[in-house]
Amino acid sequence: MTSLALFLAVLAFLLAVPIPRLLSRARFRARSPWAAMLLWQAIALAGGLALIGAPLVYGLSPFGGSLHESVAEVLKLLRAADFTALEDLHVLPTHVFALCLAVMLGTHLLLTLLRTYVRVLGSRRRHRDLVRLLSTPLDERRGATTAPNATAVDEAHVIEAEAPLAYCLPGRTHASSVTVLSRGLLDQLSDAELAAVVAHEQTHLHQRHHLLTMAFDAWYRALPWLPTTRYGREAVLELTEMLADDGAMQHHSRDDLLRSLALSTPEMSLIDDADADGPSRPA
Amino acid sequence: MATLGDLERSVMSLLWDSAESLSANDVRDRLDEDLAVTTVLTVLARLEKKNMVTRERSSRPHRYAAAASREEHTVEMLNEVLGTASDREAVLARFIGGISDSEATALRRILRSS
Repeated sequence: MTSLALFLAVLAFLLAVPIPRLLSRARFRARSPWAAMLLWQAIALAGGLALIGAPLVYGLSPFGGSLHESVAEVLKLLRAADFTALEDLHVLPTHVFALCLAVMLGTHLLLTLLRTYVRVLGSRRRHRDLVRLLSTPLDERRGATTAPNATAVDEAHVIEAEAPLAYCLPGRTHASSVTVLSRGLLDQLSDAELAAVVAHEQTHLHQRHHLLTMAFDAWYRALPWLPTTRYGREAVLELTEMLADDGAMQHHSRDDLLRSLALSTPEMSLIDDADADGPSRPA
Repeated sequence: MATLGDLERSVMSLLWDSAESLSANDVRDRLDEDLAVTTVLTVLARLEKKNMVTRERSSRPHRYAAAASREEHTVEMLNEVLGTASDREAVLARFIGGISDSEATALRRILRSS
């Protein structure tokens, strides 16, 4: 079992440091964001399990040959408070330390996930309340003329803000989710561009991107000093945007989408980059 | 029939526009719809629970006021959104390779003007 623990430790290290670094620079992510997204999920899951598994397997090694057997043995000894038996089994302080580490790490990860979930849900509820009270539905603004072919665009809510903005707020059910557009964005976009940006936000909601970003946010909050959590969080945010772009492009022209997205990010510095590298910058 | 959400919106905009705090009776009198005071009180209680409305308990009847102005709430929302926004630049960059020179120029013009 010690060799297995060593293997898991090496695996945890590989998944925590060099692999995320490589993947965050990999070019294929722009071509197939789905594949990159699956890979990140696999890395996070396997990395987390290996991280907990390595000390767990090492700590359990003196207690029995298999995982099941040794866990049962530890629980039996704990219940009987039979600490003299530890010496007969050749349990070293390092084994006890490793076991404690594994248990604490596992608890820490679960609690952070839970805390993030509660916090995100709370601030989202607050935000939805504010949107409901402060916004007007888009169709009300345009008059009832669009009623017969009401689309997702008509269900979008408009807030009075100068900054061009578009975002979505996931709700518990799909019906309680809202897409929010700012007055400033509405003033600058044509109907086709508006439809494209709403389709982009709808793709976020349909594909449940908020769950992915929340999980990776929790993963980062739990272990912020680990390269994998930092790269993973950034990459997943970026990939959800790419996936939403792809979703929107199934029904809308790329030009409409590009214009609307470029406008809806006020502080973007794409201009300078494109000027420096020329428009043929590899993507 | 107006839903509770619609009523919350009308009551809230009344309180935002009002310079002084209002009692439930004042609110009912100023609303277009013909409502029972108990309904207004229910709506006000819901808004208080959402921290949108503050209640002055020193007076009888209790008087209600908006906890913050429309603008303050809008700023609260925008800060939250901008704080969590991801880096669009990197995401949009993947399109750059695939667009023509004239499209790229047009895109840059849009970006510059915003």
